[in-house]
Amino acid sequence: MPSILPALEWLEALAWATAIRESNWGYPIMETAHVASIVAFAGLVMVMDLRLVGLAFAQTPLTRIQRPLFPWQMAGFALSGVTGLLLFVVDPLRYYGNVFFRVKLVLLALAGFNALGFHLTIFRTVGRWDEDPLAPKTARLAGAVSLLFWAAIIVSGRLIASNWFD
Amino acid sequence: MTGGIVIKTKIIPALLTAGVLCAGQSALAHHPFAAEYDAEKPVTLTGTLSRMEWVNPHSWIYLDVKQPDGTVQKWTIESSGPGAMSRRGLKKTDFVAGMSLVVKGYQGRQKPAIANGRTLVLADGRSFYIGTVGGPNDGADK
Repeated sequence: MPSILPALEWLEALAWATAIRESNWGYPIMETAHVASIVAFAGLVMVMDLRLVGLAFAQTPLTRIQRPLFPWQMAGFALSGVTGLLLFVVDPLRYYGNVFFRVKLVLLALAGFNALGFHLTIFRTVGRWDEDPLAPKTARLAGAVSLLFWAAIIVSGRLIASNWFD
Repeated sequence: MTGGIVIKTKIIPALLTAGVLCAGQSALAHHPFAAEYDAEKPVTLTGTLSRMEWVNPHSWIYLDVKQPDGTVQKWTIESSGPGAMSRRGLKKTDFVAGMSLVVKGYQGRQKPAIANGRTLVLADGRSFYIGTVGGPNDGADK
């Protein structure tokens, strides 16, 4: 299998990646936007998850909470995704070797599968249980898993900043 | 039943809050000085610059330090990012390979030839604070 390292070295040497890496303000702004958009995204997802597991808004139908939140969740996800990708491109070799970065990627994939599974299965029948204060077991499980995964993703993202295993 | 729900609704938010507070505390220190560097081990390194990485989030100074026995020890010194360096009057072009430098800082905990830089003294005598947030309150930033 060819190594990914030459591709990462090519990315790192790009003129615009170098300019951001050495910038006074560009990088800090990008980093701050990444964190702020994660706060918006994860916070709004957790509102839905708390309803799913039955710890908040139990008397409000799930879709009345989730439908209006959805575009804002997606906006937060899009901005955190774009800024995250840029942060990676600016310093790809450092992230590639960072154990917490790898953990975060795996957790992101797992959280994605959880959300996809939820939307393709139990959420299809939401019309039947929308107003139930206690959602079906599968839906509660998806909510609990989402809460755990997103919390773990934020923690692992935070730990990327440490050089412990570099 | 009701009791169980009350406990759940109170304990879980409390745990989440505690987690968020802990995360906030370490975020203040950017990455924690104490986890990587030892405030009890100050070092003063005099050497020649082999390489300078003027990069975010933190810059890296690579210094060749001649030992009393004539051998060269290669030090890696973590210092402020480009923004903080610029505000304190330093430029990327101030760093030229081969120039003599003095760096005061604190030694790493795990790897011996790594330090967290606090004060940089150039050959012309000008001195700059190059520390990062979370270091000991040693007055280097004054």
